[in-house]
Amino acid sequence: MAKQKMSFTQGLKAQFSTKSLVLIPIAVGINLIGGTLAATLKLPLFLDMIGTILSAALAGPWVAALVGLLTNLFLALVSNPVYVPYSLVSIACGLLTGYMIRAGLFKKIPGLIVTWLSVTLVSVIVSSTITIFVFGGATGATGSSVLTAGLIAATQDIVKSVFASSFIENLIDRGIAFAIAYILLKRIPKRFLSQYTIQSNFDDED
Amino acid sequence: MEETVLEIKNLSFKYQDSKKRVFEGLDFSVKKGEFICIIGPNGSGKSTLCNSLVGLIPYYFTGKWGGNVIVNGINTKDSSIAELSRQIGFVFQNPFNQLSYTAGSVAEELAFGLGNMGVPRSEMLKKVDKVAKLMRIDHIIGKNPLELSGGQVQRVAFGSTFIMEPQILVLDECTTQLDPLGSEEIFDIVKELNKSGVTVVMVDHDMERVARCADRILVIAYGKQIAIDTPEKIFSNLDMASFDVDIPDFVTISKILKERGYYKGEITIDEASAVNAVKEVLA
Amino acid sequence: MAKTSNYIPQDSPIDRMHPMVKIYAIFCLGLSALLFPYFLFSYAIVIVLFIVAGIAKLLKRFSKFIIGFTIPITIMLMFIQGLYSPKNETILMDFGFARLGLEGVVIALNIIGTLLVFLGTFYLMTTTTYTGKLVAALVQSGMSVKVGYLILASLNVVPQMQRRMSIIKEAQVARGVETEGGLLARFKAFIPLLGPVVMSSLTDAQERGMTLETRGFAVTGIKPTTYVQVNESPSDKLIKAILILFFLASAGSSLVLRFVL
Repeated sequence: MAKQKMSFTQGLKAQFSTKSLVLIPIAVGINLIGGTLAATLKLPLFLDMIGTILSAALAGPWVAALVGLLTNLFLALVSNPVYVPYSLVSIACGLLTGYMIRAGLFKKIPGLIVTWLSVTLVSVIVSSTITIFVFGGATGATGSSVLTAGLIAATQDIVKSVFASSFIENLIDRGIAFAIAYILLKRIPKRFLSQYTIQSNFDDED
Repeated sequence: MEETVLEIKNLSFKYQDSKKRVFEGLDFSVKKGEFICIIGPNGSGKSTLCNSLVGLIPYYFTGKWGGNVIVNGINTKDSSIAELSRQIGFVFQNPFNQLSYTAGSVAEELAFGLGNMGVPRSEMLKKVDKVAKLMRIDHIIGKNPLELSGGQVQRVAFGSTFIMEPQILVLDECTTQLDPLGSEEIFDIVKELNKSGVTVVMVDHDMERVARCADRILVIAYGKQIAIDTPEKIFSNLDMASFDVDIPDFVTISKILKERGYYKGEITIDEASAVNAVKEVLA
Repeated sequence: MAKTSNYIPQDSPIDRMHPMVKIYAIFCLGLSALLFPYFLFSYAIVIVLFIVAGIAKLLKRFSKFIIGFTIPITIMLMFIQGLYSPKNETILMDFGFARLGLEGVVIALNIIGTLLVFLGTFYLMTTTTYTGKLVAALVQSGMSVKVGYLILASLNVVPQMQRRMSIIKEAQVARGVETEGGLLARFKAFIPLLGPVVMSSLTDAQERGMTLETRGFAVTGIKPTTYVQVNESPSDKLIKAILILFFLASAGSSLVLRFVL
């Protein structure tokens, strides 16, 4: 089978084949039980990204983005509507992870670490921005005035500490999530994996 | 002379990225109304064969495929899984993975396949009614499928498949995960359907049941077709132990008696004839 | 058995209403509230929603939901906008460390009002509509069956997985895996608990895909039908028309009020 370059829309449609579609609710479920398991074990983390990473590896970036979105919508429906704007964080992380895996970064550990760090960075920036934006109050005002309002709304010290603690929290949380997802992926039988990935993304035996 | 409904010609398959073929050289045909049982050690490719019969190979599973599967005159290479589902139905092991997860009631679940095909609602209602009675689930027609027992869910799965009116049924270990009562209920339904003319291709490892019901048995081991013949011939001629396949106790009884020279009759494959054989010997 | 959706079956005209009408309500009412420059408008709509909740026999639940949402967000927004909004000119109260400004309070009330309309109509929709009927109506109106699948399957699959997880957790605890104890011990407990669930879930995914395919799911070119009945009655058509007219009228007056005055 020659490796043709599919057009973007073709590739997008291919990502949502039945095989990938059925994976989505299950990946959302994995995200949520990861979260509740961490809570029950009283671990100081969220660990609600494992399903997203797995779906990124098996089905692609846009599927992972959708998994992230649905996870947030589900949480919003079940516990707190505030999760809705934060869907952007999950979507961004899903896309980033998916594209990095496609670029082959999951083949070796250094690539895994790069993915982990980039996702952490994106996660912190996007979620902090959303927090500031939302607290600034979406009044329809222009972006910079909202940002100003946000910065005024919290004193300079508070903003700094929000960024800092958010960063460490995210770093550890994402790191463990990626580690667990990677271990699980390695354990999946080859026969199963090859039914999903368009190119093999995990071994160098191309 | 019964028509041939299923032809397998020189079938071989290798999963994507795998170095070894799952099976090769499978070649047999099935006549209308027959009850074929497929037996063989684990990993010999029985499930892969089932997937090939209903079009999941090559349309769902990727890999390298050789040979032909012809269902009611249609070559699966020229068809699709959806089209084939109207000719040949598929029920496999885990009942809970044969639900659509979109239905709030058993009735909705049964109608799922019909809805996908655009069948008008009035027709849907009639067919759902008919199938529910046939599968003995009309008393739970309004219940949520996720709240049912394994045996009940498997009957719903049967119903969802049979409602598309296939004339051939492929059953891949469909009672393995059920309790004895659940298994028996399913099995009664299968026998009823076969009596009314539905061709059955069943993978099973309950040898007593296989010996009782099969018109012919297909033995697959280590990727090769070993034999396809009547139960009597299969159990008496083959050294089944060499293929890691159990034989029914009734067969063992007559075999041992024969080996020791006490019994000169046919190898028995069911309880009644085994009892008779022992009676004969003791007389 | 855990509830997999918010639907509360009641015999009421709202329950019987066509799901698309309710979706129209969310958008027409919500957008009207968003566009209109005076916040009292939104609160008037919210009062109407309470009446609708009464007709739907869900008044108590609706009230609990609205109050549960309103109190925390009011405090939060009053604090941030009331005290710190850059638009504050008229001072209502002086607390020493901050001053409560009128403009900020108005902005806060506006936001809360709009949010209440959107959330209120959304809540009423989900509690009065059988999810299967909602998806059937959406698919009839042209939504992809795949999106419909995602909505329904997620609502069914996720609670099922959560139940399975708690069963496994109990089994493992009985076998002596730590769920209390030191941090490291609890970390170590994670993979043996999550691993098997993930592995079997992936197999489930594959088999469920097989099921969908063998039931002819999402074949291109075929318009699917549903067992669940969705019919548009004359009153549905009337209400839809009223909602659209309402939206056009309020949008129009909003434009006039904002730019002319």
